[in-house]
Amino acid sequence: MMIALMIVSIGAIMYRAGTYYRQEQWEEYITIVEHVRLGTIRLAEISLANYTASGNNSTLKDNLDQWQNDLRKAYPGYGVILTYNLADGTNINYSQGLASHWNETVSYSAASATFDLNITSVGLEGYKFMATAFLNLTILNVDALSSVITLAVKGEDGMPIKDLKKGNFQVDGLNITSVTSSYDPTYFLVYIIKCDGSIPESVPVAVRDQRGIIVIAKS
Amino acid sequence: MERIGMRTVRNTKGQMRVIETILASFIIFSALTFVNMFAVLPSSPKYETSDLEKMGHNVLHDLDEQGLLSRFVYNETEWDELALALTIFLPPDVYFDLSIYDAYAQDLPINLYFPIRYGSPEAFTASNSTASVSYIVPGQQAEYNPRILVLQLVRG
Repeated sequence: MMIALMIVSIGAIMYRAGTYYRQEQWEEYITIVEHVRLGTIRLAEISLANYTASGNNSTLKDNLDQWQNDLRKAYPGYGVILTYNLADGTNINYSQGLASHWNETVSYSAASATFDLNITSVGLEGYKFMATAFLNLTILNVDALSSVITLAVKGEDGMPIKDLKKGNFQVDGLNITSVTSSYDPTYFLVYIIKCDGSIPESVPVAVRDQRGIIVIAKS
Repeated sequence: MERIGMRTVRNTKGQMRVIETILASFIIFSALTFVNMFAVLPSSPKYETSDLEKMGHNVLHDLDEQGLLSRFVYNETEWDELALALTIFLPPDVYFDLSIYDAYAQDLPINLYFPIRYGSPEAFTASNSTASVSYIVPGQQAEYNPRILVLQLVRG
């Protein structure tokens, strides 16, 4: 009798533990957290693309304010609350989370913000993450004789952006005849832009990546 | 007399053991029956739905991570490719129906006249374990224009 009662008691405890974790549906919440994180990174990229095209530095803030509401619409009943802190100052001269350092040999565009995510329906509080978008353009060499510009384009992780074509580049006042890429021991991948006509000593070169982010560098 | 008395006590003890065993078996049996009522077996609709939801979440997330989802969603000419990509990512026995909504006008899906679907519409109405997954895409290129995707999944 004692053994039977023990088996039933342990069974009941095990059952309660099992159903508790099953009902919490952890995996579903993890996927929502991941969706919110990825969507917010995409939002930072969209905002940076908009900022580099229009120069409006309140873009990121405006978009994030709308994003907070739209997340509640997309995941009703979960109690998704996203709060943000726009990057300011530090190594990069951010203004409202956005920065552009152009017309230098090494130029870049950047967006950055930190976030706190709460999902009240499961008691998740203070999940922190960062959303960063970055594009760097470095002019490595300008060969006026052969009308060739060699440059490197890097993303957030410092790795080269590898899917750029002729249409992604613009050289001020000159027609681009071809864009090729080759291996470089320092930058891993460099783009070689061949232009029609002679290249002046200082020439602005613009790049627009697949996300729509623009950077202008000057040799 | 003493011997008869001892035998009666032993008989009574034996009977008690039998009753105790029957009671114990009854408790265990009734507990197992009770737990079994709540068990979620692999074939039950609840298990099936959560499994399909996981699949739906993963497929949309993978497409988004590769940078394909926004391209497909915001270009109507690429909705065929979106249907094809979902067909490739999901197992062949899983039917899907994807609706794309404008976040600010959610009444009717944007793709109402262009269903992004695999499997007959009856499969969704007939099934009692349809999984539904929501996903939000903020925009494309420099434009913030959120769209909410609702992906419905059933086993064929």
